Amino acid sequence: MTPSRAAVSKPPIDPYAAPADFGPWRFLHRLNPLSKIAAPVPAMALLLFTRDVMTPLVFCLVALALLVIGAHLHARTLLLLLLAVPAAVGVMSVSFGIWADPAASADPTVIVEAGPLHLTVGGWLIGLATALRLAAIVLLALIGGLTSTGPDLVRSLVQQLRVPYRLGYTALAAFRFVPRFGHELEVIRQAHRVRGISDGRGPIAWLVRTAGYVVPLLAGAIRHAERVALAMDSRAFGAHPTRTERYSIAFRARDWFFIVAFWAATAVVVIVFAS
Amino acid sequence: MTVADPQDAASEESRATPAVRVQSVSIRHDGRDITTPTDVTFDVDPGEVVLLLGPSGCGKSTLALALNGLVPHAVPAELTGTVTVSGMRTAHETVARLSERVAMVFQDPDSQMVTGTLLDEVAFGPENLLLDRAEVLSRAEESLRQVGLWERRGDNPDTLSGGGRQRLAIACALAMKAAVLVLDEPTANLDPAGIDEVYAVLRSLVDSGDHAIVLVEHNLDAAIELVDRVIVLDRNGRLAIQGPAREVLVDRVDELMRLGVWLPVALLAALRLREAGIRLDPLPLTPRELTAALDAQDALPAPVIAGAVPEAGATGAVHEAGAARAPAAAEPAVRVTALDLDRGRTRILNGIDVTIERGSFVAIVGTNGAGKTTLLQAIAGVIRAPAGRIDVLGLDPAKADARTLARTVGFVFQNPEHQFIKSTVAEELAHGPRLQGIAADDVEERVSGMLDRFDLQELRAEHPFLLSGGQKRRLSVGTALIDGAPLLALDEPTFGQDRARASELLTLLDGLNAQGTTVLVVTHDLQLVAEHSSHILVLDSGRVAAFGPTASVLASDALDGAGLRRPPLARAFRELERHPSWRSVTRLRDLPSGPTS
Repeated sequence: MTPSRAAVSKPPIDPYAAPADFGPWRFLHRLNPLSKIAAPVPAMALLLFTRDVMTPLVFCLVALALLVIGAHLHARTLLLLLLAVPAAVGVMSVSFGIWADPAASADPTVIVEAGPLHLTVGGWLIGLATALRLAAIVLLALIGGLTSTGPDLVRSLVQQLRVPYRLGYTALAAFRFVPRFGHELEVIRQAHRVRGISDGRGPIAWLVRTAGYVVPLLAGAIRHAERVALAMDSRAFGAHPTRTERYSIAFRARDWFFIVAFWAATAVVVIVFAS
Repeated sequence: MTVADPQDAASEESRATPAVRVQSVSIRHDGRDITTPTDVTFDVDPGEVVLLLGPSGCGKSTLALALNGLVPHAVPAELTGTVTVSGMRTAHETVARLSERVAMVFQDPDSQMVTGTLLDEVAFGPENLLLDRAEVLSRAEESLRQVGLWERRGDNPDTLSGGGRQRLAIACALAMKAAVLVLDEPTANLDPAGIDEVYAVLRSLVDSGDHAIVLVEHNLDAAIELVDRVIVLDRNGRLAIQGPAREVLVDRVDELMRLGVWLPVALLAALRLREAGIRLDPLPLTPRELTAALDAQDALPAPVIAGAVPEAGATGAVHEAGAARAPAAAEPAVRVTALDLDRGRTRILNGIDVTIERGSFVAIVGTNGAGKTTLLQAIAGVIRAPAGRIDVLGLDPAKADARTLARTVGFVFQNPEHQFIKSTVAEELAHGPRLQGIAADDVEERVSGMLDRFDLQELRAEHPFLLSGGQKRRLSVGTALIDGAPLLALDEPTFGQDRARASELLTLLDGLNAQGTTVLVVTHDLQLVAEHSSHILVLDSGRVAAFGPTASVLASDALDGAGLRRPPLARAFRELERHPSWRSVTRLRDLPSGPTS
C-alpha cells in the first residue's frame, strides 16, 4: 500500500521470471512443461499401488539422476534434494514402521523397543516402502516443477491443451496477489498487536487472532480483485476467442521422445522389480 | 463558459463529431436510491483535455467508468441516457470493443499489473486485440518509449517506483491506440516525485495532441496547466458548470468554493490577497503565475509570517538535530537519543537524535526509504527499538507492555480497516478501555463521549467495515485516543484519499492538537504539512536532515537537500524578485488577510 513497499520488501520469488536456457546438458529446461508432466504421470499412478521397496527406490534414483543432470539447480536446492529427502525417508520409515500392522509384517524381529512401542524389521520395511513411495512421487513431480515457469505452463496449457486462455491468464494474474497479500497480512498483524489482542498464548488464542485477520484481509482482497478485473476488461481481455501469443511454446519431437522413453523405462522398472 | 442547459448539446451539433458525447446520463449503483451522476450532458472534442471536478461522492469516478462501458457492463449499476464514443453507443458494445476507442488509467497502479515484465504488460492489451506479433511489438516499444521505460522492458513491474508503475499503466493505455484517454485520479496514490513523473508524461501527451483526455483529479496544482476545459459536478452529481478552465476557475471561484471543490493553492493565495486589498490581475492558477503576478506589483504590505511558533519569523535558522533548544517548561513528549535501527541487514535509522516538545504537531517527511515510518513505529512501540534509546513521556516503548503503551501513545495505521477487530462501532471503541480493566459504567461513558466527539453516535451499532471512508478514519483515530493517550502517531493518514477527506482529517487533528494532544504524522503531502504542522522533521537516508519550526524548515534548503520538492506556495514566493521580504512566505496564513490600512 505504501509507495515504499516495493523498496522494502521485494517478493522473494518472481513467478514471471523468463524461462532460462542453461545449455543442451540441462535438457529438462528445453522441454515443454506438459511433457514433463505427462512423462512421469504413469509412474506416479503405479507407485500408488506398489508395495515393495525396490520399485519406489528405483524411481527415486531415476528422478534424482534426471534432476541432478538435466536441471540447473541452486546449491541449496541440490543439497535439499540429496540430503533432506533421504533423511526424511529415514524418519518416515521409522514412524510409519511403528504403526504398521504387526500381523502383516513378514519378519517379527524387534529392532528397538520403547515402552509399548516396538519396531520390527518387517514393520520397518513396510514403513520404508511407504516413505519411498511418497518421496518418489514428490521427486517425479519436481522434474517438471523445478524446471518450468508458471507462465510457460499456462502458455502450453493454452496452446497445446486448448485450455481457455481467459482461465489461464486470470490464474497468472492471480500470482501477483501473493506477495501483496503477504505484505497486507503483516500490516494487519501489526495493527492488531497495537490494539492489544496479542495477549494470550495457546492454540485457542491463536485461532481467535487468526480469525480476526480474515475479515480485513478478505475485504481488501475482494476490492483488489474487482479493480484488477476492471483494469483487465479495459484492456480488451476476453475480446476474442483467442489472443495473440508472442511466445509460442513448441511441442517438439524431443518432447515425444522424452515421454515415450520415460514410459518405456517405467514399464521396464515395473516388470523387473514389481513382479 | 457555459451553464449546462439542453440547448447546449443541440447548438454543438454542427461541430465536428465529438470524441465522446455524454447525453442526459444518470447512473444508479445497485442497492442505492440516488443517482450520481444525475442527468449530465457534455461533449469532449478530439484532442481536447477535459478535467472533471466535484466534491467527494458526486460520481466523477463513476462517470469516468461509464466512458468505456465498464458502467453498466462490468459494474453493477443502471445507466440511463447515452454515452457515445466515436459514434459507438457504449450500451450496445462490449467493454472489449470499446477498449479500442477509450483507454483507461486507474488510481492504484498495483491493481493494473497482470504480467511479469514491462514488455509483456504493455503487450497484454494489443495481444487481446489479436494483432499480429510485429504490430504488438511495435506498439509496445512505441508506448514504452513515450513514457521513458523502454530501457527497463525486461524488468518485473514490482521493481518500479509508484510513479514508474503509473507511467507503465499509461503506456499500457497508449498501446490500445484509442483516441480517448480517461485517467481516474492517476496521482492519488503517489508521492510528490511520482506525481511529477506522471505529469511530465501527461504534458508530453497533451503537447502531441493525439488524444482527447478526460482527467479526474483533485490535485489541481499539477493538473491545471494542462487542461482546456473543466466540467464541474455538484454534490448531487448534477452538472453545475462547464467551460474553459481559466474562465471557470477565475470567474466562478466563489461558486466553486461553495460546491466544495478544491482550488489550486496559487488561486487561494490570490483570493486571500484580494481580501487584503492586493488585486492580482489576471488571477494566477499556478505557482509560476503567482510569482509573476506578485512581481508585477510595485509595492506590497509586509507579510504576517506568524505561526504557532514564535521564532518562526527567523529565516534559515533551522535547528540542527539535537541542538540545544530553549529549556522547555515541561518535560518533552518524545526524546530519541542516538537511535540506530536495522531491518535484516539494512540499516534503516542511523543515529537519530530528536526532542519533540509537548503540544507540538510534527510532520515527518522524506523520500521513500528514508525511514519515516520506521521512526514513527519505533516511537509508538509498534516495532521494538533497542532499549533505552526512546523516551515517550517517561516510558520506554521498547520495554512497555501493550496496555501501558496504549495509555501513552495512540497509533493510527494508513488503512483504518486494518485496525478494526470488533463487529460494532461501540464495541470497537470499548475494546481498549476494557483491556485496561476499567469498570463497565466508565467504559460506556468514555465510549459515548468519544462517539459524540467524532460524530459517530448514530452509527454506534453499525459494523466498522460498513462505514464511509471518512467515518472509518474518524473511528480509527477514536480508538487510538480512547485510552487517554496524550500522543497520537499517524502513518500516511491521507494516502490515497481525495483532498477534501484529507483536509477533514487534518482539521480534526488541528482540533486535537489545540486541546493539547501531541501529534506526529508521516506524510507526503507537503502543502498540508505546511498548513497544519508546527514542526517538520526531515529524514534523509535514515538520518535527521533537519528539524525545526515549520516556517523555518520550509524557508531553508533542507527539503531540496533531502530530495523533496517544496510545496507549491513556498516555491512561488521563494522565486519572487522584487519583494524579498515575502520570500519566506510558505503558508496561506502567512498572507495578510482582511483590509489593510
